[in-house]
Amino acid sequence: MRPFPYMSAPDVATAVREAGARPSTKFLGGGTNLVDLMREDMERPDTLIDITRLPLTEVEELPGDGLRIATLVRNSRLTAHPLVRTRYPALSQAILASASAQLRNMATVGGNLLQRTRCLYFHDEAAACNKRSPGSGYDAINGFNRYGAVLGTSDACIAAHPSDMAVAQAALDAVIEVESVRGTLRIPITDFHRMPGDTPHIETALTADELITAVELPALPVAANSRYGKVRDRASYAFALVSVAAALEVEDGTVSAVRLALGGVAAKPWRAWEAERILLGAPATEETFRLAAAAELAPAVGRSKNTFKIELAQRTVVATLRQLLTEGSAA
Amino acid sequence: MLAEHEAGEPSAVTDHLAASGTPLSSAEIRERMSGNLCRCGAYNGIVHAIHEVAVTEGVTVR
Repeated sequence: MRPFPYMSAPDVATAVREAGARPSTKFLGGGTNLVDLMREDMERPDTLIDITRLPLTEVEELPGDGLRIATLVRNSRLTAHPLVRTRYPALSQAILASASAQLRNMATVGGNLLQRTRCLYFHDEAAACNKRSPGSGYDAINGFNRYGAVLGTSDACIAAHPSDMAVAQAALDAVIEVESVRGTLRIPITDFHRMPGDTPHIETALTADELITAVELPALPVAANSRYGKVRDRASYAFALVSVAAALEVEDGTVSAVRLALGGVAAKPWRAWEAERILLGAPATEETFRLAAAAELAPAVGRSKNTFKIELAQRTVVATLRQLLTEGSAA
Repeated sequence: MLAEHEAGEPSAVTDHLAASGTPLSSAEIRERMSGNLCRCGAYNGIVHAIHEVAVTEGVTVR
């Protein structure tokens, strides 16, 4: 591991000022991904700014029934929070379906949004990878691409975003609060992560001197009837092949509100706008669910070993919506 | 792990997230131990041992 300068920030203003004064700092939260990547020599920050002493550790209720989750709230605390379990059960389920208890005890909400892909080629120094070394190539696309994305990919990169938590947040209209010396920004999560295009090494709307300070969940009555479905190679402690966060409200047999996002299939938590458009106002039937899922996956491009994800994603959407319709939420 | 279960914290195999008093089944023990000792925290012997301790501590098991 390379030696690196380390500093502990006493307050947010110092953290962002110090980050603004250097070209490529990283903020240290739980360290469950960043420290691993530094050991692998894949992340090489010029300074590590420890933010774990900042007072950003609370879940607060917002006026009108929303929640403000400060960036350092540990995943395990968030998932166990009574208001998350009752108002946004899909978010609780998504976090519980991720990593292991020890990792959830360490991992922070802000860090989860910034975690890097687990694409095997990104982590293999001997492989060509446009995300790790821009312009070097894309061994993943023609290689063992089972874990690769099928939506929004480019000729440069098919890496999938690894988060479960962020998929639920994408479905639930989360807004990310960002602080820098230039002030405060509020970025909808669906605008936060970028598609790979020609620049797969640029993954989010964040610059190195910007600090995530909170994630806000708006009041969203439909979220009380929500679920997270995850399909993976092993029943526990594995990343998603495909996952679905869904919220559904039905009145007189018609879909009156719906939120849907997919994980494991794209470079970002994938909000299923097209499927939502088809579902809203349509009869809440298995047939509508299938049509909506098919429309969402219509632009998908499979590679040699991940074409199965296109069908699997559709079936997981249908199964999750069916479960919401017949059994209700997991709360 | 037993303390978290006693506090009513759910796991990925808990059917009703908002409920408290979910009995500590083998499935609950395996999921809650998943990731301990690498991936091997849910071997039969370990699950049985946790079950045994849970019973002596008065936890509702299934």
